[in-house]
Amino acid sequence: MAAPTVKVARGWWGLAFGVRRTVLRLPGLTQVRWSRYGPEYQDPQIDKEYYRKPLAQLTEEETYERELRKTQVIKAAPATKTSSVFEDPVISKFTNMMMKGGNKVLARSLMTQTLEAVKRKQFEKYHAASAEEQATIERNPYTIFHQALKNCEPVIGLVPILKGGHFYQVPVPLADRRRRFLAMKWMIAECREKKPRRMLMPEKLSQELLEAFYSRGPVIKRKHDMHKMAEANRALAHYRWW
Amino acid sequence: MKERRGTPNLHEVGRIMLKGMTRLVSRVHKLDPGRFLHLGTQASQCLVAHLNNQVPNESPRAISRTLENDPAKHGEQHVGRHYSIPAQDLETALPHGLPPRFVMQVKTFNEACLMVRKPALELLHYLKNTNFAHPAVRYVLYGEKGTGKTLSLCHIIHFCAKQDWLILHIPDAHLWVKNCRDLLQSTYNKQRFDQPLEASIWLKNFKTANERFLSQIKVQDKYVWNKRESTEKGSPLAEVVEQGIMRVRNATDAVGIVLKELKRQSSLGIFRLLVAVDGVNALWGRTTLKREDKSPIAPEELALIYNLRKMVKNDWQGGAIVLTVSQTGSLFKPRKAYLPQELLGKEGFDTLDPFIPILVSNYNPKEFEGCIQYYLENNWLQHEKAHTEEGKKELLFLSNRNPGLLERLCAYL
Repeated sequence: MAAPTVKVARGWWGLAFGVRRTVLRLPGLTQVRWSRYGPEYQDPQIDKEYYRKPLAQLTEEETYERELRKTQVIKAAPATKTSSVFEDPVISKFTNMMMKGGNKVLARSLMTQTLEAVKRKQFEKYHAASAEEQATIERNPYTIFHQALKNCEPVIGLVPILKGGHFYQVPVPLADRRRRFLAMKWMIAECREKKPRRMLMPEKLSQELLEAFYSRGPVIKRKHDMHKMAEANRALAHYRWW
Repeated sequence: MKERRGTPNLHEVGRIMLKGMTRLVSRVHKLDPGRFLHLGTQASQCLVAHLNNQVPNESPRAISRTLENDPAKHGEQHVGRHYSIPAQDLETALPHGLPPRFVMQVKTFNEACLMVRKPALELLHYLKNTNFAHPAVRYVLYGEKGTGKTLSLCHIIHFCAKQDWLILHIPDAHLWVKNCRDLLQSTYNKQRFDQPLEASIWLKNFKTANERFLSQIKVQDKYVWNKRESTEKGSPLAEVVEQGIMRVRNATDAVGIVLKELKRQSSLGIFRLLVAVDGVNALWGRTTLKREDKSPIAPEELALIYNLRKMVKNDWQGGAIVLTVSQTGSLFKPRKAYLPQELLGKEGFDTLDPFIPILVSNYNPKEFEGCIQYYLENNWLQHEKAHTEEGKKELLFLSNRNPGLLERLCAYL
């Protein structure tokens, strides 16, 4: 990934209080991703346990923090973040990545059907296995999902760097969020492209997740390919300047 | 055991043995819900008597299973508990009646457990006290989507199968009025239409459910199928069913004959007949089937529906008619409609008119706890938070105690 560029709008006028004003003025540049909230806006506190703590048990810092929050402006909580006990940010992110055309209902139903399919397959294996093997079989679809994505995360990535008129693929350490993104992206791409015509997404996804959980399958292979390429281009590592 | 001074107190010994026995009993409950618990010696029998009187000192959990697997003996004390149906009964009594999600659950858990609920108990009570000399009484199970009408019907069918009734079970009448690939003009009556596929599938399942009766019941008329084949008077009903299964073209007529003969002979007293139809509002609604000239077909022009309507009239004795009205699968009915009047329409309601309506509603708190406990015992709820009080409260809120919704929620948790 190239070094991030910040593009800034020219001349914002008639702004209400709290809306971000121009940060940096450079000719010919527009800020691509921005938030309508200014820097003084605080993130909402969604955790129910935070509010359930009785006032008597709060330490001084926490009481101070609560008093301070009463004076601050707070952003609106997004519709996708709930205070449900079953909420999982990784699952939400994956659902958003699977979504096409804003059809969140379909994406969410595919996700729930996938989790159900994983669970049923594992239950079948459990009932067919002997007593010793039963202890090793994992039936929780959420642990399988998290472990599978963790197994698919690459450790090192390649970035095209322009030097002397040519682009070279340079091995580069990846940030955590980039690794998680790549793992999810590869998983979804694999399930969309390489499945037989009439197979449905939940079935294919559950298959791929189970294979990745056991560290085999095409997504793991892609991760290993990435590592091998990085190893092969070891000599170009000096082209990286950060 | 700690060392004690003097002789050990008999009460303390008894209490410790009782604790051990309770743990053993609860573990056996979990392992073998169907087996009867055998206790050999006299001393342990005394302890068992103690068990029934005293509260076991395990942590108080909702009990979700019962050992009573015979539907005839289910009573008020079993409400909210699951009883298991042995695999044999499942194959013979219910080859085609169960909802698809329940079939998946049976396959996953390797056991078929139904919850005992009040509407089913009410119906069982009425069926136990039927007077077979009077005309057949019609019972209509109605309720909102996902409340358990079909499974209550399956409970009743299991009871009747155990009591050796003849079961005439149409799993979903809606399937007969839509999506039919091959409609033939009926050979018996030019105005009506035949549905060979649906009729032959139904005949196969009917045969598996009622093998033993088919050889006992004799046909009372001669039926000519075509120039070469005919069934003589006095031959067993099994021949008619065989003919329908083998010659798919005559399947619909075979179904018609079976229905006519059963209705005629039910009052003779050889057998007791249970007519169970799921989605009976399909018989009086509209169909989505069209003729070759694209004009719509009314339900009475389908031979299967025409014969079934005659079966559902209460002009015969020696049995009972249990029906379900459902919006799922119905055609041209609004989603929120669940009352019999709304779903049956004027014609259907007038035909069924003196019937006993039985409302099937959402779980009450005890049944909800029992259901959650059943899922926990089978390790179906794998999410860590689902075991906590918070998780249970959230499931209650999300599902509004609706059985169908709860099942779908727990499937992915």
